[in-house]
Amino acid sequence: MRYVHLYFTCIKRSMISRLEYKKDTIIALFSFFFSNLCSLAAIFFILQAIPTLAGYTLPEVGFFYGFSMLPIALDHLFSDELWLVAYRRVKDGDMDMHFLRPVPVLFQVFAETFQPEGFGELILGVALITVCAMNLTVKVTLGAIAVLLVGAAFGAVIITSLKVAIAALAFIFKRSGPLLQIIYNFSAYAKYPLAIYPGFIRVLLIFVLPFGLFISLPVDTLLYGTNNPWLLSLAIMGAAAVFFSTSVWIWTLCERRYESTGS
Amino acid sequence: MIEVNNLTKVFRKPIRGNGLSGMVKTLFSRKYEEVRAVDGISFTIPDGEIVGYIGANGAGKSTTIKMMCGILTPTSGSIRIDGVEPYRKRRQVAQHIGVVFGQKTQLWWDIPLIESFKVLKEIYQISDADYEERMAFLGEVLDITRFLSQPVRTLSLGERMRADLAASMIHNPRILFLDEPTIGMDVLVKEKIRLAIHELNKVYGTTVVLTTHDMTDIEDLCSRIILLEKGSILYDGPLVNLKNRFGNIKTLTLTVPTDVHAETAPVLLPEVAISEEDGRLVLRFDADKVALEQVVQYAFRDLKAIDMKIAEISIGDVVKTILEQQEAEHAEKV
Repeated sequence: MRYVHLYFTCIKRSMISRLEYKKDTIIALFSFFFSNLCSLAAIFFILQAIPTLAGYTLPEVGFFYGFSMLPIALDHLFSDELWLVAYRRVKDGDMDMHFLRPVPVLFQVFAETFQPEGFGELILGVALITVCAMNLTVKVTLGAIAVLLVGAAFGAVIITSLKVAIAALAFIFKRSGPLLQIIYNFSAYAKYPLAIYPGFIRVLLIFVLPFGLFISLPVDTLLYGTNNPWLLSLAIMGAAAVFFSTSVWIWTLCERRYESTGS
Repeated sequence: MIEVNNLTKVFRKPIRGNGLSGMVKTLFSRKYEEVRAVDGISFTIPDGEIVGYIGANGAGKSTTIKMMCGILTPTSGSIRIDGVEPYRKRRQVAQHIGVVFGQKTQLWWDIPLIESFKVLKEIYQISDADYEERMAFLGEVLDITRFLSQPVRTLSLGERMRADLAASMIHNPRILFLDEPTIGMDVLVKEKIRLAIHELNKVYGTTVVLTTHDMTDIEDLCSRIILLEKGSILYDGPLVNLKNRFGNIKTLTLTVPTDVHAETAPVLLPEVAISEEDGRLVLRFDADKVALEQVVQYAFRDLKAIDMKIAEISIGDVVKTILEQQEAEHAEKV
């Protein structure tokens, strides 16, 4: 409870920082709408060019694309500071202040930034899903809705966990941003059905970097009823628990290796 | 209470070549050199003491401080802050210590100062009553009330340092680590900071560990100093003892007529060293061995002094002499 309260105090601080620079805030809002408009247009052009993909129809591919944006957007909202940790903050010795406070370092990293831009992606994803779903003719079951919700929420936990584990390596290597970028880019694969990939990538996307587990499989379950939605939900939640606890463990191990910089 | 026992910190660095080709070779080399930043030091600091932790740049002062406050993990040896090891139970120790690094601010850069304090209040779980009391006390001794509503980035260096000090004291820490708190400050700000540290120590009994290159800080504040060189302790004890390490040295600086020179001047005693600096004569002697009166008479009678200044040896001179001796010994060995 203390940490919930503390989190909101810190987030309020982060928002005040954002609003401190008035013109920057206005420009950010404007460019944010513009960039989302661009990505929406891009999706539209891509979908028009490929009427069917490995047997999936246009609204189905659109649904995939829209759904894949949800866990990424949720992660974007809460854990953007990890990018800075991986690229710059450890290398610059800029983490000292977090080590001096009686609160876990990882918590402080999460509480340092809240990215409202994530809401835009969330809205865009939901809009795309809604439009495509209206053009789909599937029988929507309670289980399918549940597995989609679980996939989005716990998928976000898995993405965040991957980011935590790789950002933590910066404590050892001083900089782990490029590696984080590579892993993160794998989420692009998850924007399309698993069926289009060769076997080993499918295995990779389900068991190692499980973007397929929480994006493709839930959508397939909705469209074709390929899996038992309840069992799949359980599997996703289990994977999220494993990824989260492992990454926190890795972080705490790496944190001890922090070297700061000379002063 | 701070107990440091045989503390060592070794940094492992790859041996780098020079230039681009050397750096590329480094990529494939597995050779490392070990830098012993802190090399087996031990000391104990009881509650309520103000200790000056001094030494040349790179002597290992900041590294020790960073280990004591839980940022760095020691390679070997132990630290106990009130019985707790900061690198094992960082959060528990953090609740009771305050830290200021003169070179880096701990405040959020672009929010009004008061907002930073509000966040710190939550982080340290300070009650409303305590918070009010501390803010009133710090507002007065550090004179920060005037710029509480300004963003930190708009503050002058002196204002920012006072704000940083206030932030490190807001949760009433039992121990305060100050790493060069007066660096880059003008005399007035320095004075204010020293007064605040003094006041805090007197009112709340806070233990203070202070690193600085300004010997006035040391003389004004510290009863005890620890002198560090190349990761080892050279001296640990009362300030007075260090000062008298080379005897009760006094210097007389004399303004003399232009025809009086150090080489040709009559010699009083071999214990009184004469040198010439900027056209003035400087006499150095141990006042416990040679009577001051005798030297003064000699200055006026034999050297025809027009004016004179008597000074005790400064702590800065002592430290300088010790470090120079160390370097000379080191050079001989090599």
